Amino acid sequence: MKYLSLNAFFNECGAEILKAVRAPEYILPTLILPVAFYALFTFALPNSGANSARYLLATYGVFAVMGPAIFGFGVGVANERDRGWLKLKRASPAPSAAYIGAKIMVTLIFASLALIPIYLLAGFGADITMARSAWFMLFGLHLLSVLPFALIGLTLGFSFNSNGAIAVSNIFFLGMAALGGLWIPAFLFPTALQKFATTLPSYQLAEIALAIVGAPSQSGVDRIPMQNLMIIAIMTIVLAGLAIWAWSRQRN
Amino acid sequence: MPALEGHVIHTTNLTKKYGKNTALNNVNIEVGNSGITAILGENGAGKTTFIHACLGLIKATHGQISMFGLPPGKLTSRRRTGVMLQDADLPDLLTPREHITLFASYYPAPLSLDDVLDMCKLTTLADKKYGKLSGGQKRRVQFALAIIGNPDLVFLDEPTTGLDTDTRRMLWDVVRKLAEDGRTVILTTHYLEEADALADRIIVMNAGEIIADAPTPEIRALAGGAIIKCVTNLSVKAIHKLPDVKSVRKTGRFVEISTQNQASTLQGLLAADINASELVVKKPSLEEAFDQIIHNQEQA
Ligand SMILES: Nc1ncnc2c1ncn2[C@@H]1O[C@H](COP(=O)(O)OP(=O)(O)OP(=O)(O)O)[C@@H](O)[C@H]1O
Ligand SMILES: [Mg+2]
Repeated sequence: MKYLSLNAFFNECGAEILKAVRAPEYILPTLILPVAFYALFTFALPNSGANSARYLLATYGVFAVMGPAIFGFGVGVANERDRGWLKLKRASPAPSAAYIGAKIMVTLIFASLALIPIYLLAGFGADITMARSAWFMLFGLHLLSVLPFALIGLTLGFSFNSNGAIAVSNIFFLGMAALGGLWIPAFLFPTALQKFATTLPSYQLAEIALAIVGAPSQSGVDRIPMQNLMIIAIMTIVLAGLAIWAWSRQRN
Repeated sequence: MPALEGHVIHTTNLTKKYGKNTALNNVNIEVGNSGITAILGENGAGKTTFIHACLGLIKATHGQISMFGLPPGKLTSRRRTGVMLQDADLPDLLTPREHITLFASYYPAPLSLDDVLDMCKLTTLADKKYGKLSGGQKRRVQFALAIIGNPDLVFLDEPTTGLDTDTRRMLWDVVRKLAEDGRTVILTTHYLEEADALADRIIVMNAGEIIADAPTPEIRALAGGAIIKCVTNLSVKAIHKLPDVKSVRKTGRFVEISTQNQASTLQGLLAADINASELVVKKPSLEEAFDQIIHNQEQA
């Protein structure tokens, strides 16, 4: 039966990839937008340099994985739930872990595709010099960032119909990017907004990424990266609980 | 694997409420380990709700459901069950071949893809995008998903709605074949001739309750008597006075006399009008039985 679940998982992965590449109009913007923004803010704006390129690499990397994770799960799941496909899968012996696992796998692939051009631009275009280990740690962190955003997407996908999910996913995507300090550093926000920013996973992930690249914290004060790691771990567990709750609510 | 004896489905006092609306009311059904059972009933009678409850897709408000001796929704029973839901659509961007292959990977001993494509007349459509198929072709893919796992129990919720005559026959053949192989099929339909042609047993639901549950011939016999169709000069009022007449209906030149006892009514008819012509005596159809069952229920 182990083999059966694995076989189902590979088949689900194949199905997810086929669905994504056959609708490039959905996936392409989430791949192109982050690198376009990164290029714009790093090269086209004044007082750019290796330092701001490094800073923006940390934050735009988080931004780049948010799109595929929130939209892939939020809109994708809502759509498949709307048409009754998930109901049919729940009635069949489809392992739900294989479905979710395959979606995470494919999101990781697309997150990598969104990250790689940004990294190439940062490494070759902006002359960022970092230890090789720092590059790998940063990439690892950016990929892991998929998880909390995918869980948010999953909760939205189970809670809204497909039209609603598109709207709400956009709000979460833009809101967490802007208010988490991924576009404009949070230390430029008014104090109340700065406080609010720390409650967002995007902010916490950006803080860890900034620590890895050796850029200053968004809080303006000394940071304790371990603390950010703890906070994001707790957030992820809470988000997982929320997603499971939203999932189980379908059985009304 | 547990033996196939005993009941595949057993519900006791199964009740499902949506707010004040009672979709299922104390439903007691036992389904053995083979045969074709048709569930009939008007829109909103509770057929789909019953199937969803058996599959564990919704929680019963109270009452028990046992599927293969287990609570509904357990993995072991899902591995032995195939499902065609009334309103489940598949992702547009995958082909029938990809959809069926995916579902085959969920089951321990699925049928071969090519056999199922062939059985469901999908071979030439296998590599077209699902979204580009016609409504009936989509239904065929959904039917293929229900049988690919080689299941012991198959639920088909209005499987032939929107299918052309040939495709409907194809589906009937596959369903009969499943039953011959000792599998259990539960299907819902609004086509009484479909239930008549396929089912060994008919369950009639009305407003969430079971109002009839018997082998198909018995259900048909519930209408009782016979129908006499003829052309006659007698007035409807006069025909009503003939012995054992239950009801009279004029259809064009013809009258249709529903009778408890064809011999006495015929005798009376011919005695009153020797010129009565184009005489036909027929057994009441399942449709008439169904109308009568629903009608009696509403009067009660
Ligand atoms: N999710 C739901 N929420 C609220 N009420 C529901 C829900 N699903 C079904 N119902 C109600 O339950 C009753 C039974 O519905 P059900 O879908 O089981 O009927 P059905 O016999 O399958 O009808 P049809 O022949 O139209 O498919 C209906 O009154 C319906 O309005
Ligand atoms: Mg129904």
